[in-house]
Amino acid sequence: MMEAEVVEKDAEKKLKFGLFLGCNIPFNRPDVEQAMRKIFPVLGVELDELKGQSCCPTWGTMPSIDITAWCAVAARNLCLGEEKGIDLMTACNSCYGSLNEARHKMLNNPKLMSDVNELLAKIGKRYEGKAKCRHVAWVLYKDVGLEKIKESIKYTLDDITIAVQPGCHFLWPSEVYPDKEEDPFNPVVLRELCEALGAEAPYYTRLIDCCGMGALRSTDPEKSFTLVKEKLENIKEEIDADLIVTTCSSCLIQLDDAQERLRKEGKLNFSIPVLHYVQLLALCMGFEPEQVAGICVTPRDEIINRIIKG
Amino acid sequence: MIESEEGVPNVLNLSEIAEREREEDERVVEIVREFGAENLIYCMQCGSCAAVCPLARVGFEWYNKKLIKALLLGMKEELLDDPTPWACVACNRCTEVCPRQVSPFEVMFAVRRMMVEEFAIPTLAIEGLRALYEYGHAVYMTGREARKKVGLPEKPPSTDSDEQALKDLKTILKNTKLAKLGLIPMND
Repeated sequence: MMEAEVVEKDAEKKLKFGLFLGCNIPFNRPDVEQAMRKIFPVLGVELDELKGQSCCPTWGTMPSIDITAWCAVAARNLCLGEEKGIDLMTACNSCYGSLNEARHKMLNNPKLMSDVNELLAKIGKRYEGKAKCRHVAWVLYKDVGLEKIKESIKYTLDDITIAVQPGCHFLWPSEVYPDKEEDPFNPVVLRELCEALGAEAPYYTRLIDCCGMGALRSTDPEKSFTLVKEKLENIKEEIDADLIVTTCSSCLIQLDDAQERLRKEGKLNFSIPVLHYVQLLALCMGFEPEQVAGICVTPRDEIINRIIKG
Repeated sequence: MIESEEGVPNVLNLSEIAEREREEDERVVEIVREFGAENLIYCMQCGSCAAVCPLARVGFEWYNKKLIKALLLGMKEELLDDPTPWACVACNRCTEVCPRQVSPFEVMFAVRRMMVEEFAIPTLAIEGLRALYEYGHAVYMTGREARKKVGLPEKPPSTDSDEQALKDLKTILKNTKLAKLGLIPMND
């Protein structure tokens, strides 16, 4: 009896998450997906494929049409984890935001939950509100832990200064998220994750500023580039970072891609490589750069060589 | 057009139409509340939301505080032509700081939902909806060079490679308001 209980407890301890990919990561930045697939087995975390997952749905789609429809699409995705008794895990802030806002709405509105379940019944599913979506940064910080990360790496980031970009949906509205920064206007999780790799990750004034991606960029690119330019200039001026590290796929694309556009337009005269944290960790673990960090617009070769060759 | 008892079409009664539209304008607060912005009426125009809003910072016309004021004054038509609500990144800084639990983000999105009913929806949003329905991914690419380059299978384990899952998603979408609005073809 005692023994069986111990075995069960050990089984509970084994970390397992449904790898929720979203859209931008598998199609635009699959090197981020590959990095996730490489780092988690090393850290003792099992990944479920979450077969049949779809778009979260992102902000410009169902959330803009109808709340019940938004929650139904989100709930179908959450069901895929709930059916297996696991939470989802994402490296995309939009997915993190949309799935958790939808869950929060359903948990606080029984009528909405029952309307959603009526829709899910048509495909033989039911959502109980148990499964949630965790953020990859929080899983690494809280469930895996900084010590285990330190033990897992082959290369350390000595003398490298990082500008962190946690991104909006990692922080706000804190009410809906399963994990919360002590002060969401002064986030420390990503800074500590970077410091665990041996880097400096200082505060800078525009640390929590929006990168201008998503709806803002598709509505008015010029205004969007104003935001990203201010952010980049502040990073250069205040901390002269060697590298920008984010835990959001949208911020990754914006900071990497918009930077190149600004340079081409003669509006920016410097270049700072950008990586998702899972990519940086995969590089530090010694995985093949081509596979875990092979897709970018702003060149990364120099910083990758510095990491690998020390 | 409504026909009279004798089958003769009625003339357009412009005063009636104007009256109806005026009433609808007065209902705008109710409409956005029904669309998810229940707490709109508690706004006291303190401006906390505007102070943290990325849209306000880069000069969009109808940023959160101003949009709420306009709605509370019963304005609607003036808002329908403006792209501001569609530029909202849903960052929710406003929700975090609002002292009256208005959730200005919900107001932005309720206005989007109202605009959708009037077909005031950006082309890009339609494309995203179409891709969501067709493939299960709002951002979808047919080219798979990037996936191959990093050593991944051409298709992710999503609706992209799972016919039944895509069918399930379509069943859900067909039974939502999206189908009633008729914004995208949803035949198969």
